[in-house]
Amino acid sequence: MRRRRVNPAAGARAGAGALPEAIAALSRSLPSGPSPEIFRRAKFDRPEATSALWQLLFRVLSPLPAGNALASIALEVQARLVKSALCSQGYPRLALAQLPEDGSQGSRELLLALSWLLARGPVPEQMLAQTRVPLGDEMTVCQCEALASLGPPAPHMEAEGPVDVRHVQWLMGKLRFRWRQLVSSQQEQCALLSKIHLYTRGCHSDQNLGHLSVTEAEMLRDPEGGQKVSGGAAHNLDLAYPKGLYFSCTPGMGPRTFWNDLWLVPRLLPGDWAAPLDPGGASACSLLSPLRVLLRTLEHESRRLEAVLAWRRSEPVFWQWMDTVLGTCAPEAPAAASQPTFLPWVPECGDGELELVVRELQTLEEELQEAVERRRVAWEAKARGCGRGPEWSAARQAFRETVEKELGALQQCWEQDSGPAPAHGPHRLVRREDGAAGDQDLRAAELIRTLRSQEACLEAVLRQLQGQCRQELARLAGALPGLIWIPPPGR
Amino acid sequence: MSIVTVQLGQCGNQIGFEVFDALLSDSHSSQGLCCKRENEAYQASCKERFFSEEENGVPIARAVLVDMEPKVINQTLSKAAQSGRWKYGQHACFCQKQGSGNNWAYGYSVHGPRHEESIMNLIRKEVEKCDSLSGFFIIMSMAGGTGSGIGAFVTQNLQDQYSNSLKMNQIIWPYGTGEVIVQNYNSILTLSHLYRSSDALLVHENDAVHKICAKLMNIKQISFSDINQVLAHQLGSVFQPTYSAESSFHYRRNPLGIDWHVRPPLSGPPSLGKMSLNKDLHFNTSIANLVILRGKDVQSADVEGFKDPALYTSWLEPVNAFNVWKTQRAFSKYEKSAVLVSNSQFLVKPLDMIVGKAWNMFASKAYIHQYTKFGIEEEDFLDSFTSLEQVVASYCNL
Repeated sequence: MRRRRVNPAAGARAGAGALPEAIAALSRSLPSGPSPEIFRRAKFDRPEATSALWQLLFRVLSPLPAGNALASIALEVQARLVKSALCSQGYPRLALAQLPEDGSQGSRELLLALSWLLARGPVPEQMLAQTRVPLGDEMTVCQCEALASLGPPAPHMEAEGPVDVRHVQWLMGKLRFRWRQLVSSQQEQCALLSKIHLYTRGCHSDQNLGHLSVTEAEMLRDPEGGQKVSGGAAHNLDLAYPKGLYFSCTPGMGPRTFWNDLWLVPRLLPGDWAAPLDPGGASACSLLSPLRVLLRTLEHESRRLEAVLAWRRSEPVFWQWMDTVLGTCAPEAPAAASQPTFLPWVPECGDGELELVVRELQTLEEELQEAVERRRVAWEAKARGCGRGPEWSAARQAFRETVEKELGALQQCWEQDSGPAPAHGPHRLVRREDGAAGDQDLRAAELIRTLRSQEACLEAVLRQLQGQCRQELARLAGALPGLIWIPPPGR
Repeated sequence: MSIVTVQLGQCGNQIGFEVFDALLSDSHSSQGLCCKRENEAYQASCKERFFSEEENGVPIARAVLVDMEPKVINQTLSKAAQSGRWKYGQHACFCQKQGSGNNWAYGYSVHGPRHEESIMNLIRKEVEKCDSLSGFFIIMSMAGGTGSGIGAFVTQNLQDQYSNSLKMNQIIWPYGTGEVIVQNYNSILTLSHLYRSSDALLVHENDAVHKICAKLMNIKQISFSDINQVLAHQLGSVFQPTYSAESSFHYRRNPLGIDWHVRPPLSGPPSLGKMSLNKDLHFNTSIANLVILRGKDVQSADVEGFKDPALYTSWLEPVNAFNVWKTQRAFSKYEKSAVLVSNSQFLVKPLDMIVGKAWNMFASKAYIHQYTKFGIEEEDFLDSFTSLEQVVASYCNL
C-alpha cells in the first residue's frame, strides 16, 4: 500500500490537539462511527477495537439501505461480507482476508482497510447521500434501484410431488389482483400529488420550486401528527386523513426507507397499536409528532454535514497519523502472483501447507475437467444417436441468434427514440408552467413518450410470441385425432 | 376508496335505491355501540365510499341509473329526493322510452351499442368525481332484457376502459317459477358473458330471499319492496366499513369460479345474537369464505369453526381461503350481526337447473328466432352452454 503523499506544511500547521479533532470529525461524519478512542486502540492493534471496526466497515460497504435489519446480522456474517466486498474492490493486503471473523483480533488491519476506502472515494459524502432526508416528492427514472434492491427472500416452496394446477391458477389470480391494486393505488397517489402541487402554487419560499411537496404540505397542515393513540383504537382505518403522510412520496420504484422509518417510529414505541382492544399494551403509547421527528432528523443530518466539512478541513493530520500506523505494521509478504483468485476464508496455515493444498486443488480440478469432457462427449454421442444431434444444435444456435437479434433490435429501437439517457438516482417532482423547465430538468412528457415507445415494442414482441404459442398449441391439438380443443374462456 | 354503482333495469334501480338508503341510514344511526371517534371514522368512510359531497350538505349517491323505460327511474329519483337525507345526481340517469321486451339480445346488441357513448360518459363523470376509484358495483337482474343484456354489455366496456379497476356484479337470480318464459335463456347468456368480463359475481336468489321474508320475518304478503329491503340489508352489512388485516375494503378475486352466494345474515333478534354454524356448510366445499362481524364482543368471537380444512378444497389452505373482517360499530341497530360471503359449491345446483332448463328449450329451438333476429346466433348459445358447463364441472371437482 503506497504511502499517501501528504503536504508537510499542512501537517506543520496542525497543533497538538488537531489529531483528536480530526478523528472526532471523521467519526461524526460516518454513520454510527466509533469513538476516537477506538481509532487510537486500533493503531496499537488492541482487540477490543475490532468488532466496532468490523461493523463500521460493514456499514460502509454494504449495499443494503440502513435499517433495523442490519443490526440483527451476526458479527461473523458481517465480517465475511466485508472481506468479500473488499476483495472484489481489489484490496491489496492479504492479511485482512486471513483475519478471524469473531472480532478477536486485527483492529489495525481493519483501520488500514478503512483508510484505504477513505482514500479511494468520498466515503462520508456517499454515506450522507444514502441517508439524506427527502423533503420533496421524488421519483427514480432509471431501473437501477429496482434491480439493485434486495427484497426479502421468497419463502422456500417445497415441491412435494405434483402441484395442483388449480393452485397455480389461484396464485396467478391473486397475483393479478395485487397487481391491479398496486396500479390503481399508484394512480391514486399520482392524482393526489398533482392536486397538492396544483393547490399549493405560490406557497413555497424557493421560487424555483414554486409549490409545496407532500411532506411540506403535511407538516404545515398538521404538525402535531393528529391522532394520539389511546388504548384500543385500532389504527387501520381507510380514512382520507392518513393519505398525506402515510404513503411513500415516491411514485416511482422502491419506497424511500426514510419514510418507512418515519412511519415506523411510532410502531417501535411500546404497545402494539395494530392490535385493537389491548388496554395493557397500548397504554403508554404517545405518538411522536411527525414534525418533531422530521426536525430531529434534519438536525441530525446538519450535524453530519458539519462533521464532514470539519473532516475535510482536518484531513491531512489524519493521513499523517495513518502513515505512522502503516509504519508500525510488519512488512507485507510479497503478493503471491500465483494466486489470482483466493477465497477470503482460507484457514490460517503455514506457507508450505498452503502450497500443498494448492497443488491438490489443481490436480482435482484437472481430474474434474477430464471427467466433464468425457461426459460431454458421451452425451453428445447419445444425442446424435437420437437423430436430433446436429439438427438440435443447429436449431439451438438458430434460436440463440434470433433472440439476440430481437434483443438488439429492441435496444436499438429504444436508443433511437430516447435522447440522452436520464441520470441515475431520484429526481424531485416539480410542477411548472409550459416551457418554464430549465436545461438540466427532465421533462415528464419526454420521459412518458420514451416509456410508451418501449412499452409498444415490448407489447409487439409479446403478441408475436403469444401468436407463436397459439399456433404451436393448435398444431399439437390437431395432431391428435378425435380431440376437441376448448380453450379456456376470457383472458 | 370510492365505489361507483351502476343500476340497470327495473330490478337494478329499485334495489340500488334500497341499498343506498340502508347504507346512509345505518351510517346516521345513533346506536352504534362504539365511541364517538369510531363512529365518526365509520361515517366518514361510508360517505366517501358511496356518496359525494354537495354544497348544501346533502350527499349525492355515486351512482349511474340506466333503464330503457322511464317509469322506474323517475320513481327511484323521486323517492330518494323525498327522503331529504340524500339524493341522486341530477344528470346521473339515462333512460329511453322503449323497453327491451325481456330480450337479452335486444339489450346487448341493440340498446348497448346504440347508447354506449352516453352511458359510458355518465360513468366517466362519476369516476372523475372520485379521488380514488376502488371499483364498480353493477346491480342487475338476469331474467329480464335491460338489466341482463345492457348489464353484460356495460361490464364488457368497463373491462376495456377501466381494466385496472375491479368490477363486482350483483346478480338477482330469478324465481324458479318465474314469469318470464325466456328467463333461462337470458340467464345463461348473461352469466357466460359476465364470467369473462367481471371480477366477482355476487348472487342473490329470489327464492332464498323470499324464504327469509316468509319464515324469518313472518311477512304475510311479501312484496318486492320487502325482498329488496332484505337484500339491501345484506349488502349493506357487507359493504359498510370494516377492519381487515389489510386495512382497507377490497374485493376478493378468485380466478376459477366467481359465482358467489350470500347467505342470510346469521343475526338473531336485536337483543340476543349468538352465532350458530349451519352444518350444511360441511357438504359444500368452498374456495373462499369471508366472515364479517359487527357489533358487540366482536373481538372475542370464535371463528375457529371456519378454519376447518374439511370446508375447503384440497389444494388450498384454510389460512389462504378464509378471512374475517370485524368492526365494533353495530350495523343497523343490530347489537351483533354476522355475514358470510362464500364462494362455494352452493350455487352448483341452481346453476345446473337453469342450464338444464335452458338446454331443453334450446333443443326444441323455442323462441330462438327472437334472439337471432337481433344478432345472437345459435353459436353464441352454444358457447354460453359450454362455458357454464365448464364452470359447473370445475366447481363439482373442487
